[in-house]
Amino acid sequence: MRHLTTPLLVALTLAAYVLLRKLYLRRPHPLLNVVVLSAAVVGAVLMGLNMPYADYIPARDIMTFLLGPATVGLAVPLYRHRGLLRLYALPILASVGLGALTAMLTAGAIAKYSGLPREVVMSILPKGVSIPFAVEIARMYDGVPPLATAFVVATGTLGSLVGAVFLRRVGIRNPVARGLALGTVSHAQGTAAALEEGEEQGSMAGLALILAGVFTAVFAPLAVWILGGP
Amino acid sequence: MQDVSLGNVFRFTWQAAILWAVYRGSCWFVEAVGLPLPGNVVGVVTLFTLLCLGVVKLEHVSHAADFLLRHLVFFFVPITVGLMDWGAVFKEYWLELSTAVVVSSLLPFWLVGALTQWLHRRGKPCDI
Repeated sequence: MRHLTTPLLVALTLAAYVLLRKLYLRRPHPLLNVVVLSAAVVGAVLMGLNMPYADYIPARDIMTFLLGPATVGLAVPLYRHRGLLRLYALPILASVGLGALTAMLTAGAIAKYSGLPREVVMSILPKGVSIPFAVEIARMYDGVPPLATAFVVATGTLGSLVGAVFLRRVGIRNPVARGLALGTVSHAQGTAAALEEGEEQGSMAGLALILAGVFTAVFAPLAVWILGGP
Repeated sequence: MQDVSLGNVFRFTWQAAILWAVYRGSCWFVEAVGLPLPGNVVGVVTLFTLLCLGVVKLEHVSHAADFLLRHLVFFFVPITVGLMDWGAVFKEYWLELSTAVVVSSLLPFWLVGALTQWLHRRGKPCDI
């Protein structure tokens, strides 16, 4: 039975993902998060079977084998939108860079000065970027990958729920600005919300989410240094 | 549903192999040079550069990239399952963590939007 554990756990994870994705595609809603709900199903089954997370690790390693190559594939949409990138080079680079740095510093400072353990502070730093970048950035500074994904999803959910309304409230009406803000702050979930507003917002958000990952990685050493060394 | 013919599987496999090679190559480079950057970030920049230079053509990677990106969130599920060991942290610090997430989202929302709008107004207002 033991040697069947890993294939069965892979099958369970796949089944949870496929079913919840189907449900989401039928009734899309920001609170119906496929990642969180699928992980909750798998986690509940593991706990029900009294299995520690360590038993799940071989299955996890098989399933995430293609994550690196898939992430590199983000260069494809970036390349398809290179025209926009050239047209709005200055606003894109300046705003996304500023946004990425501010998000990191405010999150890190609040977490640090409310006395959270250091590994939690390092996990919340990259909370504004897509999960594969966040996981790697957190890992580089002794953060915890699953915690990093939790903060990323929380930020994305918040951004997709209130981002559009908040931006209107503070007088941001320019579609390029709205798209950049949604993509920089709340990555793919914000991009989905931006796409609902229009194609221009969606493309800008898509660009911003990838560039925010790059900027956050580049600025991370600076943020870690400002927040008190490694 | 996608067409899962033998030809498509073959095409996906070798395109994914190109992505994998760029990824592994970038990870190796980061380690060799000692860059303080994740390999996947360098990988995105590398592939983008190769596409711009025409070394890699869009049709050499787009089939695999589009499929993998459509299901990118699947890869996050097994990582997120790891949260089952961290319930106590959330119970103890939920208020601090929520504050950190909310403030560090709203402030950059406004900054990014305002800076972009300001740069636009100074530039060509007719652009949009």
